[in-house]
Amino acid sequence: MNKIFKRNELWLFCILALLAFLVGGSNSSFWSRTNLFSLFKSSVVMGVFALGVLLVIVSGGIDISFPAVAVFSFYITVKYLLYIKFTGSIVMPFVMSMTIGIILGLLNAFLISTFKLIPLIVTLGTGSAVTGFLRAFVGTTTLSNLPQPLIDFSRWNIYTETLADGSVIGFSGSFLIFVALALLVAFILRVTTMGRGVYALGGDQIAAVRAGFPVRKIYYFTYGMAGALAGIAGIIHCSLIRLANPRDLEGIELEVIAAVVLGGASLTGGKGTVLGTILGVFLIVLIKGSLILVGIPTDWQKVTIGVVLITATALTAYRSATHGGR
Amino acid sequence: MLLALITSLFIFLVVTGAMAAEKKYKIATVVKVDGIAWFDRMRVGVNEYAKETGQDLWMVGPAKTDAAEQVQIIEDLIAQGVDALCVVPFSVEALEPVLKKARDAGIVVVSHEASTQENVDVIIEAFDNFAYGANIMKDLGKNMGGKGGYICTVGSLTSKSQNEWIDGAIAYQKEHFPDMHEVTSRIETYDDATIDYQKIKEALVAHTDLKGICGGPMPTSAGAGLAIEERGLQGKVFFTGTGLPSIAAQYLKSGAIQTIQFWDPAIAGKVMNKIAIAILDGKKDEIKDGANLGFPGFESIKQDKDKKSLFYGAGWVVVTKENADEYNF
Repeated sequence: MNKIFKRNELWLFCILALLAFLVGGSNSSFWSRTNLFSLFKSSVVMGVFALGVLLVIVSGGIDISFPAVAVFSFYITVKYLLYIKFTGSIVMPFVMSMTIGIILGLLNAFLISTFKLIPLIVTLGTGSAVTGFLRAFVGTTTLSNLPQPLIDFSRWNIYTETLADGSVIGFSGSFLIFVALALLVAFILRVTTMGRGVYALGGDQIAAVRAGFPVRKIYYFTYGMAGALAGIAGIIHCSLIRLANPRDLEGIELEVIAAVVLGGASLTGGKGTVLGTILGVFLIVLIKGSLILVGIPTDWQKVTIGVVLITATALTAYRSATHGGR
Repeated sequence: MLLALITSLFIFLVVTGAMAAEKKYKIATVVKVDGIAWFDRMRVGVNEYAKETGQDLWMVGPAKTDAAEQVQIIEDLIAQGVDALCVVPFSVEALEPVLKKARDAGIVVVSHEASTQENVDVIIEAFDNFAYGANIMKDLGKNMGGKGGYICTVGSLTSKSQNEWIDGAIAYQKEHFPDMHEVTSRIETYDDATIDYQKIKEALVAHTDLKGICGGPMPTSAGAGLAIEERGLQGKVFFTGTGLPSIAAQYLKSGAIQTIQFWDPAIAGKVMNKIAIAILDGKKDEIKDGANLGFPGFESIKQDKDKKSLFYGAGWVVVTKENADEYNF
């Protein structure tokens, strides 16, 4: 029991609960199913991105190319599917977007592991190159006539309800995909040898090599996986907003990295959990999605986000420093 | 035989002589950013007008929205010796020095979406921002039956024209629809449809009396359409605002949103070039209050009271599901 209380996740959960009660106290519509379902849906895309970033950060690296990779993957996928007038299963767009993501992730891994370059510089470069390539050779216009399977996916709810005023609310099925991917990443990190290797590499690279971990393979795995998750998050995003916009997702990298760090992952590597990351994502989605509910004027919204983020991070960091929590 | 030769020589001389007499103007239209649907449409207008008039007209713009790159392009055009520049500035202030340099070199400068520009011959705006906003509210109030709460969106609280549209809309509501009210201060959505969608969903939860959405930036049309359709609120919550047919068509057709408004960049491109040619022909006097420029929305342009170089059209286009297919941008 004592061990559970020492964990960062519980601490983060308390901050999240406190914030929820504060928001719910000032406006009771916060607790309505309409709002809760909406918050869960908003966390899907950021959550899937965060899982990929978590893997990379735990391994001691960083990836800031993932929004560019996501846009590249979904835009090419949608453009191609429109070209062949695709009407088949939703699996095909997902697999295609994921595959493009994997290829770009492996390119990152190749550059980082072969030339021993700094991940920040490499992913900054690939992100910029990928965006430029997309705009120069593939297209710059926003596509709004998505293939039917993607429109159907955006309408997929596992639970729907008609409210008294005649409006409809639904719990988006896309959340199930997030849960499944989170379980998969948690399983890899906790159970498999590859997962232990990711922690070992992030903890101490030289020790990991001496202990016989296949460092090169681990690089390819983490960045490849981050690319795959970026591709999946991209196609989900594009479906949910029903637009394929080649200028989309700019600036999301900071929010996602903030969520992962808030979740207890260390930017120096070797530390971080899936549960913590999910809580970090929920925290950011909750803050961003409650400003109108609480009635904070538009001019003050950015200030509020900044103050809450710094406070939450400081509390978590202080907690880890004093209790040595993992 | 000799006669035929002399005749053809004569014809040749007459033709070349005529061509030399009608000197072609070189006029460049410099836009904020090249490669987006909006300015692709403007290029169509500029190219059409080049064909109609036989002048040498073309459009250029930086690959990304960047004030410094736009300055560089204008520097190059001054060096090339163009006769006139039609400019849609990304940053009005950043262009002042280079436009001054252009005018000092005798180049005519016409600008658009730049009501505060100083170093310019004529500024032509598609419309008066307040009138544009009032027209949005006219449709929204009608659809809402003149009752209930509404919200307004802007891309950013610092974007001047969008905030003037909303000022115009709110002023119109206060005058004509006293039973309507704004439920929360205008919402910032950063020209991102995802943020529009999430903020509108949140506003619908927070304010049960919300019946109308007045959209400033273009992506609000898509975000509002999605939020209304998803919640099955067609006919209960209404949207009117700026939008592009290519992005909003699916929601116009499904009945989630009723009308979108915009101005046609192709016509804006033609009007700028027409004014530039008129000035080069020495007919600047013809660009005056009430002048008819011969394009839809520019039949009777208005001169600004304080700023003599500033003119407005009434060039907005209102699109409903009936005419959404007429526009391909």
